[in-house]
Amino acid sequence: MNGILQGGLYAVMALGMALVWGVLNIVNLAHGAFIMLGGYLSWCLFTYLHIDPFLGLPLTFIIMFMLGYALQRGLINLVIRAPMFNTLLLTFGLQVVLTYLAQLVFSADFRTINPPYAGNSVAVGSVVVPEVRLAVFCVAIILTVGMWQFLLHTRLGRAIRATAQNLTAARLYGVEPRHLYAMTYGLGIALAGAAGTLHGIVSQIHPYVGASLTAKSFAISIIGGLDNPLGVLVGGLFLGIVESLTTVYIGQTYADVASFGILVLVLIVRPRGLLGRAK
Amino acid sequence: MKPLLEVRHATRKFAGLVALKDVSFTLAPGEILGLIGPNGAGKTTVINLISGTLKPSAGEIVFRNEIINRLPAFRRARLGIGRTFQIMQPFPGLSVLENVAIGALFGRDGGHAKLATAREYARECLEFVGLDNFIDKRADELGGPGRKRLELAKALAMQPQVLLCDEVMAGLNHVEIDEVIYIIRKVRDRGISVLVIEHVIKAIMSLSDRLLVLHHGEKIAEGEPDAVLEDPVVIEAYLGKRRS
Amino acid sequence: MKPRNMGLILAALVLLAGLPWYGSDLLIQFGINALLLAVLAQGWNIIGGYTGYASFGNSVFYGLGSYGVAIAMVQWHLPFGIGMGFGVVLAVVFAVLIGVPVLRLKGHYFAIATLALAAVMTAIVSNVGLAGQNIGLVLPPLNDDRLFYELSLGLLTITTLTIWALTHSRFGFGLIAIRENEEGAAVMGVNTTLYKVTAFALSGIFSALAGGIHAYWITFLDPDSAFDLTLNVKMIIMAVFGGPGTVFGPIVGALSLSAVSEFLSSEVTSIAGLFFGVVIVAAVVLMPRGLADLLRRGRKMGWGYFAENIRRHRL
Repeated sequence: MNGILQGGLYAVMALGMALVWGVLNIVNLAHGAFIMLGGYLSWCLFTYLHIDPFLGLPLTFIIMFMLGYALQRGLINLVIRAPMFNTLLLTFGLQVVLTYLAQLVFSADFRTINPPYAGNSVAVGSVVVPEVRLAVFCVAIILTVGMWQFLLHTRLGRAIRATAQNLTAARLYGVEPRHLYAMTYGLGIALAGAAGTLHGIVSQIHPYVGASLTAKSFAISIIGGLDNPLGVLVGGLFLGIVESLTTVYIGQTYADVASFGILVLVLIVRPRGLLGRAK
Repeated sequence: MKPLLEVRHATRKFAGLVALKDVSFTLAPGEILGLIGPNGAGKTTVINLISGTLKPSAGEIVFRNEIINRLPAFRRARLGIGRTFQIMQPFPGLSVLENVAIGALFGRDGGHAKLATAREYARECLEFVGLDNFIDKRADELGGPGRKRLELAKALAMQPQVLLCDEVMAGLNHVEIDEVIYIIRKVRDRGISVLVIEHVIKAIMSLSDRLLVLHHGEKIAEGEPDAVLEDPVVIEAYLGKRRS
Repeated sequence: MKPRNMGLILAALVLLAGLPWYGSDLLIQFGINALLLAVLAQGWNIIGGYTGYASFGNSVFYGLGSYGVAIAMVQWHLPFGIGMGFGVVLAVVFAVLIGVPVLRLKGHYFAIATLALAAVMTAIVSNVGLAGQNIGLVLPPLNDDRLFYELSLGLLTITTLTIWALTHSRFGFGLIAIRENEEGAAVMGVNTTLYKVTAFALSGIFSALAGGIHAYWITFLDPDSAFDLTLNVKMIIMAVFGGPGTVFGPIVGALSLSAVSEFLSSEVTSIAGLFFGVVIVAAVVLMPRGLADLLRRGRKMGWGYFAENIRRHRL
């Protein structure tokens, strides 16, 4: 049960990365750091402005979106046509900068966002779960499905998908690539920020959490497939379940082995992911 | 005389689309075989099947009496099958000379073992195609016609027995076309068999010993160039295309 | 190679070799670390710089080398040399077994697969009894920094010589061809699978040797530090910063970045880290082909070099 709830959160985390990866062909190594940033942002909103994290989610979303847009337009755009390795390095550098910035500003303490109802539990079927976890899960599902619908039905969503398929053709349809790229990246970062908020509610935030979160998002993006938000959801759930099962039955240390082992298997056997379309 | 290359009942399917259907032909030593047909007829697929870039869904590719279906591309190169690419594939970061040297280092029977001799041979090949002024330029600095010649030089450096040319004259003007015709004739004079895919009908008429016509993945005519072009089936295929 | 350059290099080598006699203890220790990092960067250079396959798995080879030496010396009481040999064998076996399936992947996917492998290895080794599980192993101490320094320098020299020989060999050309256009290389007769796996194994051997030396030097080993991914990231950054696909680039990158990092560590660590990140970002934007290229072409083009790089790569 825990696995499923965790899986939902994982899915949202990976959503932003999969979007940026699938459309812009950028593997955002700083993704985890942005999640961390989103978490801190919500924490600030909560601690200093007393805004409930769930209510503050849209605000976090918007702020992170603007950040992402500016970053892409101003910085990442500069290396987009270089060998893809350069974008990898660039985002890696970003990750380092963000991590140390966070450490400077927030110090290395662990922080959690603890709204007053954090202690409540609720019964789902035969299992008792903390209320917040359930809430986080629901929000995660809403975000994922919302994303899916957005890509499918809105004009911007369709433009994004078109660009992912074929930039030249999309251009012919009047898509301004720089703007669109920045929008997509902004969206990806906004999602990361949202994920960070959710993450901050159920577990701890600290400056170094970025790297492992990036790795997890990698894994999920690949396992689920880059083309389809539903795929990412499936990937996230899958991973969440696998992890909790391994922890329970085999042992904590093997949880990582399991998740990364699956990643390697998927890469070798079915590189487009469980739900993705062939490249 | 035994044919050098035989394609027997080659078929190639792509997820529901039949690109080639039961195509058979032979290529004799020292022969220039022209391959024409409307766009999408499957001409490049034929070359892909011979060079090993693709495997046939059915049928056999026979080279010097050996069935080579199962061999990966690089082994076929070692046997002496060389090709050019319609969408040119240079090694962008390397110089023109180095590009051709790769062919010399890895071609037939594993190519030259020493870098120095490979470079020398590459130089010769570049002179052969008329690119000797561009030897030290970066490969991606060449213009369209230059790149086509580079493709030829690279393939030649492999010391092939069969050269598969995929539209090496596309986008060239009259003078450049004549030069390429001259080069291909020189290639044949060296004893290399050539399979030429072209859209420029005049050029392929003057080059080919025999002509092969593909349409919708099937062979619709084969024989002497003049006879083939007067074949009503062939005219129908081309005219039919133009009408639609 | 011009005789003047050759002379300079020999002079530098002699100077470096003599360091243990005129340098402080701290400098020698810094030297060992920097030299080993240079070896790792060069090792990565083979598979990443020349063949074009950005591997995140070199830290696995490093770890295998470390554990090879550790297990041989601690559990089986064999001498150091045999331990190194064992580490090399482990690396080669790993390279071949894992390399064949993983090297079929391209670009991003290959990088990620190797990354995942690194994570898996850490977890696996922390559960193997022979390797001391989570606790790790403690090696017999040998307090001779000079020896380790010279060993490291020697290893770097051998690695660099190998790369130099590579660039003048048929094999090296094959690797470069694979990097520039793998499909084209195959069609011209390059046995891409064999070459890729060989490059992978070669890069692994050097990484493993570096790991072995390091393990014996600090006499302590545990899974997290042996298979540490940040090491892999460091070696990539150093190789790319210095100039991937060149003979001396990674060395320059490793030594310079080590020096910078060491210098900054004496200041506040966060600021050091921050600065490091900013440097990386700036470097990727302004000099994407590394220091080596900057030195070669920047001199001719002046400030325009940076503008040119940006113009080439922006949308």
